[in-house]
Amino acid sequence: MANMKIKAKLKGDVIGVKAMAKHAMLTYDQAKKKGKEANFITHITAKVGDKVVYDVSTSQFWSKNPQWKFKFKGAAKGDKIDITWTDLSGKTVTESKKIK
Amino acid sequence: MNRRKFIGLGVMAVAALPATLSALSTIDFRATKPDTWTAHTVADGIKALYGDIKPEESGVTVKAPKVASNGGAIPVTVKSDISAKSVAVFQDANPESAVAVFNTDKDSIIDYMFKIKMKKSGTITAILEGQDGKFYKGAITIEVALGGCEG
Repeated sequence: MANMKIKAKLKGDVIGVKAMAKHAMLTYDQAKKKGKEANFITHITAKVGDKVVYDVSTSQFWSKNPQWKFKFKGAAKGDKIDITWTDLSGKTVTESKKIK
Repeated sequence: MNRRKFIGLGVMAVAALPATLSALSTIDFRATKPDTWTAHTVADGIKALYGDIKPEESGVTVKAPKVASNGGAIPVTVKSDISAKSVAVFQDANPESAVAVFNTDKDSIIDYMFKIKMKKSGTITAILEGQDGKFYKGAITIEVALGGCEG
């Protein structure tokens, strides 16, 4: 499932990661207007192996189809990065990508 | 406690274990600090998350376009060289103030970009909780031409 687009690239000893998730990110206000349930990504975690390299609790004010970038150290080319998001409904999506 | 519940708890305990072994663990700030996410003002949000703090007005850079033509997706970058325990981002344009709380450790590189929604012009505030126990603050005020909360 290509729910998330991930790009991870090693530069020097730092890995730069760009990611985008497909999600409506409906705020409580928007949901009320549309007569739907509010639903948005509440947590994003990125891991390389067992090591957590990015961990954020998020609110409804991230944009629709949110994009984010982060950097970290301590991984090599070819390592796999796993990014997982969880939304308010409890749905969880994980996508993996090799570091280039 | 019935059997099913008991097994469920066992699975949860096992799942929680690997997180404690790695340098950086996952913290769900929505669960640990629920009041942060319902606070309507930046000050209340900060108070709910960190308590009564007096952050230094330096050390954290918040970048965003001065004038955002589309309030639905404003790229915000938070940067700092300070070794941090956590970084929280708030804004004062939406019904609730909290935007994100990053869980960090001494190895984390504080250089985060993410796109946010803002209903109107306002100020984005980032609070960094340092490994040294001090708090640092950075902020930027931007103009939003077209509000992004109406979707």
